[in-house]
Amino acid sequence: MRFISGENIPELLESFSAGGSVVWAPRELTGSGGTVLFERWQTGDPIDLEHFSSLSAKDVVLPRTEKLFGYTYAFGGGGLGTSGLGGPSVGGLGGALGGAPGEKLVIEPAPPEPPTVLFGARACDAKALNVLDALFNNPEGSGYKDPQYQSRRDALTVITLACTTCDEACFCSSFGSGNAEKAGSDIILYPADGGLLAEAVTKAGEALLAGPLFEETQMSPPPLAETTRIEGLESLEKKLPGIFDDMDFWQRISERCISCGFCTYGCPTCYCFNIHDEMKGDREGERQRTWDACMFALYTQETSGHNPRPTLAHRYRNRINHKFSYYPENQGMILCTGCGRCIRGCPAGLDIRDVLSEALKESSKEQ
Amino acid sequence: MSEHITKIREVLAETDMVLGWTASGAGGVAAPARFHTAEEAAAAVFDSTCVHNLAVHLPRLKGRTVGIVAKACDARSIIELIAEREIDREQVRIIAVNCPAVLDVKAIWSRYGYGARVEDDGSELRVNGEMVDRKTFVQAKCANCTESKFASASASERLKLSEDFKSMSVEERREFWRDQYGRCIRCHACREACPMCYCRDVCIMQTTDPHWTGGGIDAGEAEMMQLIRVNHLAGRCTACGECERACPVGIPLMLLMEEQNRAIKEMFDYRAGIDPEAKPPLLTFDIKGDAWGDA
Repeated sequence: MRFISGENIPELLESFSAGGSVVWAPRELTGSGGTVLFERWQTGDPIDLEHFSSLSAKDVVLPRTEKLFGYTYAFGGGGLGTSGLGGPSVGGLGGALGGAPGEKLVIEPAPPEPPTVLFGARACDAKALNVLDALFNNPEGSGYKDPQYQSRRDALTVITLACTTCDEACFCSSFGSGNAEKAGSDIILYPADGGLLAEAVTKAGEALLAGPLFEETQMSPPPLAETTRIEGLESLEKKLPGIFDDMDFWQRISERCISCGFCTYGCPTCYCFNIHDEMKGDREGERQRTWDACMFALYTQETSGHNPRPTLAHRYRNRINHKFSYYPENQGMILCTGCGRCIRGCPAGLDIRDVLSEALKESSKEQ
Repeated sequence: MSEHITKIREVLAETDMVLGWTASGAGGVAAPARFHTAEEAAAAVFDSTCVHNLAVHLPRLKGRTVGIVAKACDARSIIELIAEREIDREQVRIIAVNCPAVLDVKAIWSRYGYGARVEDDGSELRVNGEMVDRKTFVQAKCANCTESKFASASASERLKLSEDFKSMSVEERREFWRDQYGRCIRCHACREACPMCYCRDVCIMQTTDPHWTGGGIDAGEAEMMQLIRVNHLAGRCTACGECERACPVGIPLMLLMEEQNRAIKEMFDYRAGIDPEAKPPLLTFDIKGDAWGDA
């Protein structure tokens, strides 16, 4: 076990920064009524390792807004040409962008991802990265390999702070090893007298802990917090399809919901996105990928006007099914790590644990 | 509480449902509930953690006869919805409650940890069993409420921010908002929690055809979004404070509404949600230019 003293923590972050890494760390924002968020850390910024952040750390792999590429229409040259993107999709892309004959479409690829250090994530944040890998970075399994996601993930070092305290909304114990989970982390930190204990999980983590700011210690890690455990969540994968058509049930459990997108945007595992072009004038623009939320009506609105999920109850049903049935079925993992952010931040006081318990009850009734 | 339940049951006899609160919300405080039967109504409560404005559900329940438990500030939203002909007065039964001034539950949890036990018997407020000063945790809106016995008595940090904001220069305000909007994630909780934001799925901030606003999530788009939201609420905001309470990243949105409401009061001598027969100033079209004429 290694040890770093409290006063050396800013120096550690500084060393990452000086080495060319972007550093993300939790911080309490001023004038925010005590809101703690993961922010890009700059020299001198305070960090908050005590409070739980309101939003997850997923920005490090799924930025709320990212530029996929830029494009410019240029006059001259013969016909529509492209540069910077390979593969058969280019022709279709040029067509989709509607270049007129005699115009040349110039594609500017997104810049490469800088090395990034996520400092002070919790086990639920780190595990979420593992859960997302199963979809975005899994050519053998899911068949998907998202180049943007993958390049961020490859450039990412995750330093996790083990939870010795928790609050009423935490329910990570319902999933696998709960807050003792090491998957997704490179290093696990534990609170200790005068600083933090550090344990390497990966080779990259081991190399970092060999640095001069860490020393060897005989101290042992403190006991971890015990969070709420809900039994049987794995069984929902098979049980939820049984109550899929019970709209009275979905209506009843979603009555409180006001259809905002916080539960999805605050969630470490919700990954749905929208892709759209933002033009600057009529010659250039960029194709952006941004967060999107299944709780918004427009999410499934089709061009014809038809919406396959016309009511809030339909959308809420999808959210629960995606997390606890479709994703486990397709990717082999539950799309939830029990971080509790959707519970703490819900403006309508809706607790997903109540919904899951009700769903378990309802499905046993019907079977 | 039995009187409250009796009242709800009475109203249930002539409505499809009653909107109220149960004690079973996340974190152990009250949360909104719909009562359809007398048995369900047995779970009804009303206390200082009943912070939500239930009027937000009324436009969604059009066509049904609905009873609604309302604090004085919530009632203003109901009146404004009636004034705008969004809901039919004949289809609403209002159960007015004596409001003890509601708590800023988020501020309590921010200090004592999420889910800290809040107990309020009306005179003593306890958090995790320990007595605390109510003035520190009463919602800022309640300090300005003429119905509340806590009028001007709140000592909350949020109320201090309102005071500080008034004395900021335009440049300082610009700086302030740039900072605040930087953390907006465009989850639209401010919009969805607002009883007056009933455009629902045709909201200008999300339509794709035409594509009025950019789709990016950043401080610039957030600023645009808030300016649109605030402008669309000019003369319609009933100051219930739900936009700010709903914001998951703590953006003090009511500062914008407070400023605008003040301006509307000065310019038009109008406060939204007071008179169901009133003509909201920005919904009044008069070619003679006299907003108060009967033409």
